[in-house]
Amino acid sequence: MGGLLSYFRNLLGSREMRILILGLDGAGKTTILYRLQVGEVVTTIPTIGFNVEQVTYKNLKFQVWDLGGQTSIRPYWRCYYSNTDAIIYVVDSADRDRIGISKDELLYMLREDELQGAILVVLANKQDMAGCLSVAEVHQALGLDALKNRTFQIFKTSATKGEGLDQAMDWLSNALQSRK
Amino acid sequence: MTDSKYFTTTKKGEIFELKSELNNDKKEKKKEAVKKVIASMTVGKDVSALFPDVVNCMQTDNLELKKLVYLYLMNYAKSQPDMAIMAVNTFVKELATSPMTKDCEDPNPLIRALAVRTMGCIRVDKITEYLCEPLRKCLKDEDPYVRKTAAVCVAKLYDINAALVEDQGFLDQLKDLLSDSNPMVVANAVAALSEINEASPSGQPLVEMNAQTINKLLTALNECTEWGQVFILDSLANYSPKDDREAQSICERITPRLAHANAAVVLSAVKVLMKLMEMLQSESDFVGTLTKKLAPPLVTLLSSEPEVQYVALRNINLIVQKRPDILKHEMKVFFVKYNDPIYVKLEKLDIMIRLASQANIAQVLSELKEYATEVDVDFVRKAVRAIGRCAIKVEPSAERCVSTLLDLIQTKVNYVVQEAIVVIKDIFRKYPNKYESIISTLCENLDTLDEPEARASMIWIIGEYAERIDNADELLESFLEGFHDENTQVQLQLLTAIVKLFLKRPTDTQELVQQVLSLATQDSDNPDLRDRGFIYWRLLSTDPAAAKEVVLAEKPLISEETDLLEPTLLDELICHISSLASVYHKPPTAFVEGRAAGARKSLPARSNSSEDSTQRVSNQPQAQVIPAQDSLIGDLLSMDIGGPAIVTPAPASQPGLGLDLLGGGLDSILGGPDPAPGSSAVSQSTTGLLGDIFGFNQGPTCYVPPKVNWLPAEKGKGFDIWGTFSRKNGQISMDMTFSNKAMQPMGGFAIQLNKNSFGLTPSAPLQVPGPLGPGASIEVSIVLSTAGAVQRMEPLNNLQVAIKNNIDVFYFACIVPMHVYFTEDGQLDKRVFLSTWKDIPAQNEVQYTLNGVMLTADQVVQKMQQNNVFTIAKRNVEGQDMLYQSLKLTNNVWVLNELKIQPGNPDVTLSLKSRSVEVAPGVFQVYNAILHS
Repeated sequence: MGGLLSYFRNLLGSREMRILILGLDGAGKTTILYRLQVGEVVTTIPTIGFNVEQVTYKNLKFQVWDLGGQTSIRPYWRCYYSNTDAIIYVVDSADRDRIGISKDELLYMLREDELQGAILVVLANKQDMAGCLSVAEVHQALGLDALKNRTFQIFKTSATKGEGLDQAMDWLSNALQSRK
Repeated sequence: MTDSKYFTTTKKGEIFELKSELNNDKKEKKKEAVKKVIASMTVGKDVSALFPDVVNCMQTDNLELKKLVYLYLMNYAKSQPDMAIMAVNTFVKELATSPMTKDCEDPNPLIRALAVRTMGCIRVDKITEYLCEPLRKCLKDEDPYVRKTAAVCVAKLYDINAALVEDQGFLDQLKDLLSDSNPMVVANAVAALSEINEASPSGQPLVEMNAQTINKLLTALNECTEWGQVFILDSLANYSPKDDREAQSICERITPRLAHANAAVVLSAVKVLMKLMEMLQSESDFVGTLTKKLAPPLVTLLSSEPEVQYVALRNINLIVQKRPDILKHEMKVFFVKYNDPIYVKLEKLDIMIRLASQANIAQVLSELKEYATEVDVDFVRKAVRAIGRCAIKVEPSAERCVSTLLDLIQTKVNYVVQEAIVVIKDIFRKYPNKYESIISTLCENLDTLDEPEARASMIWIIGEYAERIDNADELLESFLEGFHDENTQVQLQLLTAIVKLFLKRPTDTQELVQQVLSLATQDSDNPDLRDRGFIYWRLLSTDPAAAKEVVLAEKPLISEETDLLEPTLLDELICHISSLASVYHKPPTAFVEGRAAGARKSLPARSNSSEDSTQRVSNQPQAQVIPAQDSLIGDLLSMDIGGPAIVTPAPASQPGLGLDLLGGGLDSILGGPDPAPGSSAVSQSTTGLLGDIFGFNQGPTCYVPPKVNWLPAEKGKGFDIWGTFSRKNGQISMDMTFSNKAMQPMGGFAIQLNKNSFGLTPSAPLQVPGPLGPGASIEVSIVLSTAGAVQRMEPLNNLQVAIKNNIDVFYFACIVPMHVYFTEDGQLDKRVFLSTWKDIPAQNEVQYTLNGVMLTADQVVQKMQQNNVFTIAKRNVEGQDMLYQSLKLTNNVWVLNELKIQPGNPDVTLSLKSRSVEVAPGVFQVYNAILHS
């Protein structure tokens, strides 16, 4: 019955998926958003607040919210949690100093009730930078091993070069569709 | 179903429903939801809980939705200051021109303007810093509508965070907008700048206009909307042209605005013209024609609706007081119409009296007589009073006015009679011994008087002319019966009148006077009445002759000026024409909260009085060191003004110095190198000679700084003091000009100085010959000694002064130029100079540069010598003239100076050594002043 319903929904052009892009400031969230939306690299300034854009990927419609990552704005992430289908958590792989803070924010966020059903995609961004952490190191540093009851995957990306984003989105689309 | 459902949160309710609707995917639903939210907000429901949800609807292409969200933001950002930060990025995006948003940047200037306007209305300090960049871009936007909106936003931002606006250079950007090609942008930039200037905490305008910007404003004036014109005119009113030619050209370009249909434009133009006319010569043809041109627009204002008429009339009331010429031929337009509202009638009446002159008095009187028969009691009273005021103002027509009043008394209308009696009392004060024949008519109406003022007036008349009224004693006695039921005003008059009567007819009124004195002193609770009673009683019992002189003294005549505004207030109000201040006839500080520190506006001075303006300029730097009034009062409160000054000998602050000078001198001379080899013999003899010569006429040639305005009239309740210090014949003199800019005479002057660094104190009480009449000025000098109490001041030569007159005690601070403390015995022996110079440690040496000194070394020697600075030696090293000078202060502090003068170079280096190095800045200031004098 449920399968049938979702089949029809897919036919009629399903409802928009709600995706949050989160992460510390300067991780590359806004760049990723616009890379996904318009397919090119744009100059960004720190996001004081949020950006919201419609992104279509392989016939799937996403409503993508890119929230500012500065300390003053992080408390307001929670205002956006309800009805979220997936979270794209962006990590600056080159920022070794703050990877710990990034981990804390991630774990803190994943404890939220409203996000229990949300799929998690971790992007180890800025892989093009010299001296950055590898995917495994990021995986380790974020303590993703300890994650239970969560559909998640980690990808290495470089938003400026456009590498890795497609794989991540492919996986996310599949995960979202198979979830239904 | 179990009962557990009662314990789960149902999350029902309007807010919850709205919340879910706001998060709906469908745009139409969203818009509907926001509309509902706004509707709830408008009727006063608190929907601030929906803040995050509404803000999330912000990024939309739908203009209608956007406007609604912005409306919500403006209303609730303040109640959700932390959350407001989430809105920032949307503004930034909308206004940015960065590539990031090149696709989504809205090409619609209306949306950009909307965003910048909303930004300005979000009064949350935390997010202002993020809004600077977008605002900067908007100020340079290609669309004038966006620029004009951004200009206003700067003023709003200034209100929230003034420092930010200044640091970010927005003021300069605003100033640049003054030369914008679009007149509306110019007008808004002007409006923003004037608002910022008014809010400036220092009271000094932050952005000064110059002749060029004024020119641009004048060009924009003709092209922008009517309200833009008002902004531009108002800021022109704050500009002071540099000379009368510039003033005249501004006047010429503004004059066409007088023909504008909008009353606000007309009044603002009138304000500018009134201000600028102050700068022009009043006899010139130009002022004559301008005066003629000003009348018709003002008259036209009176044909608009009553409310506008009232505002116009209040302003005209000021204009007529300042420049009666403008409307002197327009009396008829101020005649009252039967259907005017009462407030317009009363105001017109007031102006009629101000315009009344010999030429039109007949017309005015017949009008006033007519008004006195109307039905409105207030208006009739005012009309009757107006007749009296005309009598006082237009002397040749006094008789006609009095007969008109008599006619009115014959009508026997109660309130007319009473009002007439009140004004007749004034007429008696103005023209004594002229109209006493009408007293009998007045007395007939004695019984009908029931108002205190009228009764008091009548009693005053009876007392004043008791010798001519046969039954004065009977009349007064009749009042005495109900003494305790009378108003205080009447009781006081009755007391005085009976005392007068007694002094005039002592034989048969003794009983009466005793009766009234005992009533006043024993049976009354009123302290005023008792006091007056006791004074009369003692006067009469000790010296009846003296009592007669006091009580029956000749009274000063009254004049019609009594109802005019104080000139300083009037001038200030003229600067505020076309504002609430000119309607209230009160300065803005009196009714605008938080404006107490704002700058007071004043009319410009006539430009050809150059002496005056230089004094004003010299006043500027001085004004900064004067401490705030409050801090002064604390210090001075303990002082006993006018009482004997407590003179304590100044403790010798440097007791060891003299010994040091002499003792240490010899040793070091022999051992150390001579800094002035070879030049000693010559220079010593010259200076010695000069010293002798100048010893004679030191007094007259001593440098006297220009007088500075120590106490401006607006702070001194009309008492204005300019002053300076000088040294004459070995004595310090404080020279002041007292001016009385108030309306009553001033007297009882006394001075007191607060404890100060040099123990300055008056050596004799302040002598001011006679009272100072209104408008008069007097030169006052007082010799000061340095024997007073010493207390270190900051700066060292600051002096706090209290001056008292019959009105109040006024406190101010001034700077005493250091050279008045230079004593005549300040010449050091050359050797002593040398040794002392070496003895004083290097950290006690201060170096200054004196700029723009166009004097040769000899001229410097001479100028300083006249002020008790003695040149010990002079030598020439590598083309530079070196001067070694000494001076001694009254507290025995020696100061040794070295001056380096290069011929042809206007910069002179002054190196100064003293054991009390804190005197250095003061000495330097004086060097600077003397060498530039």
